[in-house]
Amino acid sequence: MNINKAINERELIIALEGRLDTATAPELEAKLNQSLNGIEKLVFDFAALDYLSSAGLRVLLSAQKTMNKQGKMIVRNVNETISEIFEVTGFSNILTIE
Amino acid sequence: MIKINHLRKEYPNATPLKDVSVEINRGDIISIIGPSGTGKSTLIRCINRLETPTSGEIWVGDNCITDKKCDINKIRQKMGMVFQSFNLFNHLNIIENIMAAPMDLLGKSKQQAYDDGMQLLRTVGLADKAFNYPDELSGGQKQRVAIARTLAMDPEIILFDEPTSALDPTMVGEVQTVIKDLGKKGLTMMIVTHEMRFAREIANRVFYMDDGGIYEEGTPEQIFDNPQREKTARFIKRVKVFEKDITSKNFDFIGFNTSLEEFGRRSGISQKSIYHMQSVFEELCVQIIIAEMSNEFKLNITVEYSQEEESILMQAKYNGKTFNPINSDNILSLKIAQNAAESIEYSEISEDEYTNLIIAKIK
Repeated sequence: MNINKAINERELIIALEGRLDTATAPELEAKLNQSLNGIEKLVFDFAALDYLSSAGLRVLLSAQKTMNKQGKMIVRNVNETISEIFEVTGFSNILTIE
Repeated sequence: MIKINHLRKEYPNATPLKDVSVEINRGDIISIIGPSGTGKSTLIRCINRLETPTSGEIWVGDNCITDKKCDINKIRQKMGMVFQSFNLFNHLNIIENIMAAPMDLLGKSKQQAYDDGMQLLRTVGLADKAFNYPDELSGGQKQRVAIARTLAMDPEIILFDEPTSALDPTMVGEVQTVIKDLGKKGLTMMIVTHEMRFAREIANRVFYMDDGGIYEEGTPEQIFDNPQREKTARFIKRVKVFEKDITSKNFDFIGFNTSLEEFGRRSGISQKSIYHMQSVFEELCVQIIIAEMSNEFKLNITVEYSQEEESILMQAKYNGKTFNPINSDNILSLKIAQNAAESIEYSEISEDEYTNLIIAKIK
């Protein structure tokens, strides 16, 4: 998985490429832990994300909880496969998906 | 007619035939099927001594052809062979190709060889090509000439080594028809073939070869409709199989997923189903089952893909205490796994060291 970060003042855009799964979720978690300080808007761009597992969902959930306290979080460009995962797990109700 | 006792053929780096014993009766038509590299061609090449067996005996009638004193050329006159590549003489025309051996070896007169040859060309439907050269014929026609040439020696046995596999698909039928017609004449035939329909239609006995020998034999109905042994059934159903063992929590997760993906691509499984297989593996096996395991465990994963039935079955066997992952409180993983599968069934088993079995039908 590739994690591409772009910061614009208090907005952080994270574009993920490849697979967010058991193997790669810890890496994203670590990146988020370093980067969320002072961020008021967190945007995930999933245009190039192919596969998402529960391990990735847990990281997204934790990021959502953090952002609930300090601003907002948006998930963008979700493909059909990932969208299905959000639907069946109820994450489509928790996350703001654009 | 042919009796094979403990035939073994070794090459420096492979042993295609470990221990083959079988009897072939006069008038038998035997289809030899099986995966590549399982000694099908080696078997028939041993029977006419194109290959020298490492050990064992082959009897053709009263002659032991594996005996050094045996006059193999005399035996070969009774035993024709048709190859994948037609092996016609390109500098001779068709009828000359057919006349050559009967004149040289059987001592037939030119006229007799010609008359008999023309008769044979009529039986394979190529009398009008008698004065053409091999280069002017299609692959299917060349193979029919090769069959006529074999028949010109008036053999009692014909061995076919993948007679249609070098042919354009449009020409397979004409060659198969000619071979089927021969079968009606009471010749003894052994046919190595990858064409399952043909293998079934022509034969009275089918040899399925695997594991260095005739793994299972039976009538076409037995082998194709009701195979008794596992590898035969897999081959007949064209089931593609992926199998891996996992014995440590630190197993190579990325490597596993990569090989599962490669297996899926190779087998022609859709990308969506590949993701579903990976989801079931990751959520059910990694997040639930392995998470539950102590440090030492055995988890065996197999995936069977049947093109014919368009079904993908993922099976996970594991040891340790009985544990049904469906009862796990990891609802998130369960939901994803259940979405990726049409059904997930758990059962307790007692098989080798395994005590638990999950079978998931992948969407």
